Amino acid sequence: MAENSGTDPAVETNIEENAAASATIIKVTVKTPKDKEEIAIAEDSSVAQFKEEISKRFKAKQDQLVLIFAGKILKDGDTLGQHGIKDGLTVHLVIKTAQKSSSGSSQTSASSGPGPSQGNTAETADPSPASNLGTPEGSGPSPTPTQPPNILAGFGDLSGLGNLGMGSANFMELQQQMQRQLMSNPEMLSQIMENPLVQSMMSNPDLMRQMIVFLYSNFNILFLLVKTMELARNPAMMQEMMRNQDRALSNLESIPGGYNALRRMYTDIQEPMFSAAREQFGNNPFSALGGNTDNSGVQPSRTENREPLPNPWGPPDSAATTTTSGTASTTSSTTSSTTPSVSNPLGISSSSLGNGMFNSPGMQSLMQQISENPQLMQNMLSAPYMRTMMQSLSQNPDIASQGPAPAPTPAAGTNTAQQQLMQQMLQMFAGGNASTPTPEVRFQQQLEQLSAMGFINGEANLQALIATGGDINAAIERLLGSQPS
Amino acid sequence: MDQHDSTFGVQLFIYDLSRGMARQLSPIMLGKQLDGIWHTSVVVYGEEFFYGGAGISSCPPGGTMLGPPDTVVELGNTEVTEEIFMDYLSSLGETTCSGDKYRLFEHNCNTFTNEVAQFLTGNKIPSYITDLPSEVLSTPFGQVLRPILDSIHIAPPGGNVISSQNNHG
Repeated sequence: MAENSGTDPAVETNIEENAAASATIIKVTVKTPKDKEEIAIAEDSSVAQFKEEISKRFKAKQDQLVLIFAGKILKDGDTLGQHGIKDGLTVHLVIKTAQKSSSGSSQTSASSGPGPSQGNTAETADPSPASNLGTPEGSGPSPTPTQPPNILAGFGDLSGLGNLGMGSANFMELQQQMQRQLMSNPEMLSQIMENPLVQSMMSNPDLMRQMIVFLYSNFNILFLLVKTMELARNPAMMQEMMRNQDRALSNLESIPGGYNALRRMYTDIQEPMFSAAREQFGNNPFSALGGNTDNSGVQPSRTENREPLPNPWGPPDSAATTTTSGTASTTSSTTSSTTPSVSNPLGISSSSLGNGMFNSPGMQSLMQQISENPQLMQNMLSAPYMRTMMQSLSQNPDIASQGPAPAPTPAAGTNTAQQQLMQQMLQMFAGGNASTPTPEVRFQQQLEQLSAMGFINGEANLQALIATGGDINAAIERLLGSQPS
Repeated sequence: MDQHDSTFGVQLFIYDLSRGMARQLSPIMLGKQLDGIWHTSVVVYGEEFFYGGAGISSCPPGGTMLGPPDTVVELGNTEVTEEIFMDYLSSLGETTCSGDKYRLFEHNCNTFTNEVAQFLTGNKIPSYITDLPSEVLSTPFGQVLRPILDSIHIAPPGGNVISSQNNHG
């Protein structure tokens, strides 16, 4: 006999169901958003029978149940077999709330139909509020959780984009800009490094060493090349940026102690570069450079330098006398050297670069373009932004020993890696490979000797050794002669 | 037998959050090739639904700040009506897919999309999307970054959060 447990007349009792269950019992998982249950049911049951089981298990009325399988809504009159519901499969269940009856009528066309399926439709939803989902809960998903750390939040200041799309603002635009800016705006890189999250990431030395070295060895060259290409393409833009940076860099002079640090750094770099470059350049365009350890010979005024930057497009310092430089470069080489400046530590003029170094045909056209804007080449070589980038990387002393160079800082001892960077860069440009062993490794023996002699400042030792190319005696002289300030 | 089995098309919108950078940088940074950092959403009934740090949200298709999707996949058709679906979403949003339950690696937008896709159509979303977290975590880099990444909630703006008071029916 049939029992009416609800408004659905199609309910059958368990007894009848069991009696009719001559087929195998299958276990079907019924899944709601909240939980799931495994229900054993006869394979040839009807959906209505299935729902009865479900309503018991889930404590819901049958007419609140909506069963979905493979995108289809299961109607009471169907059988499980009709829909291909087999053992081990999952059927989705939605237990309808009672309150949507007004909007339900127009939406239930899919499940409404004449006959026994009336239990499915919303019209007959009973008004009882005692459904699982009935109570309107405004406290469910909180609309804006407490702002989680946005890994890229630090970029907000950069291009005025506020918080990233990871929280708000213009995500896509930032992404595109990021790509562009990463290649063209060095400040971005430094901002990346300043982000505390990135820095905490950086503080894991083992990983960072691997990653950075790998990245560095691949990336810096690429980076530099990309920069070069971009420089060649758009010298005006780059130059403007360079000027700003150079100005900022030269303002470091006004920091107490900064001038000396700059000078010292400059000196330390100047010499190895000088000696390395000397071989390439043959005749000596750097005569003015050799004995000149003063950037300008004038103490800075301790105030910000507000003079206009030198006109990069103005007539070159050197009189342009054309001397053949042995290559097909069309640069005009000069005999007078360009005055060394902060951004132009070697005083390289474009003309002199035609010698030797850039013999390959590929470089010549590049050099041709760059030589038309002489300032660019020196700026690129000095690459203050590179230093800025490396500064952050070199927070980790392990990494610093491997190569990345810090920006000029008043603190002593950070110049070692920077020198090595410059050396590597120069070697790279000279056609050598950049994978020299680190100075620490090369000079290990000398370092030990120095420290045995009582020179306990390992970093200064290393500096000296690098500057002298491993000559211990010369290094000792340097160490004795240098005045840390 | 119903006269009209009105079915609704269900689509999967796939976005690359890295805008192509993952494709370029992943070999270097992770040691394996990842073609993108995938964010997905389900589009049905003319609306886009996705799960993020703010919970389940909806918006007009392509209406988040991410713009139009990189890829659209047809998941199939469903008989589920919008009303039932909204019930389902409300229920989900209160339980497993509330905003605070968002986990970048284990329970993210793609987890949600996968469940919804199965609910609506019985089909799963392409596996390369759901495999992404494990791909990243299987690299040493991913392991190290994990504590940081775990705290990231991705919530592309432009959607309205769905709560049980919020009926789009």
